[in-house]
Amino acid sequence: MSGLRGVLLLGISAVVLVVGIGAGATSIPPAEVWSGLLHGSAPSSAIVRELRLPRVLLAFMVGGSLGISGTALQALVRNPLADPYLLGISGGAGLGAVLVIASGGGGAWGVPLAAFAGALLALALVYRLSIVGERRLDPRVLLLAGVVVGAFSGALMSAIIVLSDVAQLRNAFLWLLGGFGGASWKTLDIFLAYAALPAGILLLSGRALDLLALGEEPAQYLGANIERTKRVVYLTTGLLTAAGVASCGIIGFVGLVVPHAARRLWGPLHRTLLPVVFVLSGCFLVLADTVARTVVRPVELPVGVVTALIGVPLFALLLRRSLA
Amino acid sequence: MRRATLLALQLLIGALACRTGATPAGSIRLVDDAGDTVAITRPARRVVSLVPATTELLFAIGAGPVLVGRTTWCDYPAAAAAVPDLGNGIGPNIEAVLGQHPDLVVLYRSAQNAAAAEQLRALGIPTVTLTVDRLADLDHVTTILGRLTGREHAADSVILATHRGIDSATATPAPVRPTVLVLVWDQPPMTVGAGSFLSELLERAGGRNLFGDLPSSSAQVSVEAVASRNPDLILTAADGMPAFATRPEWQVVRAVREHRFLHVSSSAFNRPSPRAGEAIRILAEKLREASR
Repeated sequence: MSGLRGVLLLGISAVVLVVGIGAGATSIPPAEVWSGLLHGSAPSSAIVRELRLPRVLLAFMVGGSLGISGTALQALVRNPLADPYLLGISGGAGLGAVLVIASGGGGAWGVPLAAFAGALLALALVYRLSIVGERRLDPRVLLLAGVVVGAFSGALMSAIIVLSDVAQLRNAFLWLLGGFGGASWKTLDIFLAYAALPAGILLLSGRALDLLALGEEPAQYLGANIERTKRVVYLTTGLLTAAGVASCGIIGFVGLVVPHAARRLWGPLHRTLLPVVFVLSGCFLVLADTVARTVVRPVELPVGVVTALIGVPLFALLLRRSLA
Repeated sequence: MRRATLLALQLLIGALACRTGATPAGSIRLVDDAGDTVAITRPARRVVSLVPATTELLFAIGAGPVLVGRTTWCDYPAAAAAVPDLGNGIGPNIEAVLGQHPDLVVLYRSAQNAAAAEQLRALGIPTVTLTVDRLADLDHVTTILGRLTGREHAADSVILATHRGIDSATATPAPVRPTVLVLVWDQPPMTVGAGSFLSELLERAGGRNLFGDLPSSSAQVSVEAVASRNPDLILTAADGMPAFATRPEWQVVRAVREHRFLHVSSSAFNRPSPRAGEAIRILAEKLREASR
């Protein structure tokens, strides 16, 4: 990464974070936002400190995690369509959430916990299905196993929905659509507790992914431990995605659009790509969330709707320009 | 001879009358809320009601005995439990409805039900589609149900009694009305706007809907919006301390920190019905208790 670009990236993220903290469902003048952040005595300081700040930080971290997960998975399965939810994780998480909501229990943390458990279960199942033959992880099988597990959880979810109270499950779907309405310092802590280690490992796997991109055989000749790389990538992306789903539902397009965009702007080398994608995806999700909570305030849009509405045209534009 | 001419004349008049749209004696013809014409030759005797509110109204006007089908969600009055359960009211099971051989089907007006109404009519079953969302819908829905079941007088007196109940329960606006957040769901926070029935009840009970400025019947809002509007009370469906009250992000809201929760559970709060007056009275009492 050239120095200039790095500075640019930091500049962008600083601006985005400031905008994210400055805007919200209530208009608070910039001076008051600032004093709320620093002193905590301003009348609106609770809103800025306890709601907006953790929300913006959570959106940034989740966005970054989804971004690098998407990047790594696209390299792992060698398919540009791969995104963090491809591997059955969203299905497992959805099933967990719907089960808890339909059974009417769970308490304050029931839904996120059940979603996390469901995601981990799906992750384990897909992993087990993809280990073939002489204990190799086959990326093609991984893809298929993910789709199959996702479809199976989807079917179970539909069955539960048909058999239970309609209004409650409409709300389950709202939760699944994704959003940061439940963000607090505690959710941020929980997310970081789950995500810090896998994110760190993934960010340091750039070299291994670059070798993997050469193809499995050439990589092996170059002395890379391909089997280990594949497993590490799969498990870390799975954990990151599961942690994301548990804290804010399913947010599409971040892990698909941003990695491709970054590849076109920064080139395909994972060593530099991964940190760039992390920052860019983080900024993208913070911006999308800011739009989601301000554009029709006090009503809030599901953030997944916004990521698609912004991300898809942006991506289409980029695609056209790089082809021209 | 004279009798024969008279009969011929009567037949001719009858035929003409049918052509011009006038109804022969005993038959009922009206336009429902979807704009479709409903015509039946005599008061319905086998009614499938696929709206909880109309099931309740039919019982109220004394047409309970003609009910041969209801939705799973029709839970009032208790006698409704004896009526066969045909499943969902939105996107109904046509085959289950047909199995009851109804001579009238009552449907809730929604985009998903338009196809079902058409299908039922094509099968020759008179179907009426009604909007029952708000207090203002009650009169006209009750009138239509009264006409279709031949119980106009009963319908009129139910309307009268309902109005009396609502008017006597409606609080005279206090100088300071408590603002109430109606929390339908907490993850994500869902509330009701001015378009909802619960909001109507709340305003009549002497409270003010925190999001009464939103026209829609339901809306997803942020904790931040709730905190900055600072409600006096929070109305939920959960008894006692609701689970969300322990989540950290909600602590920014004063009413949550001070445990100022109201709770209603009766189905009278879910749908417009003759029990609306009673619902307003209960709510007004809870508001008074909480403000004390």
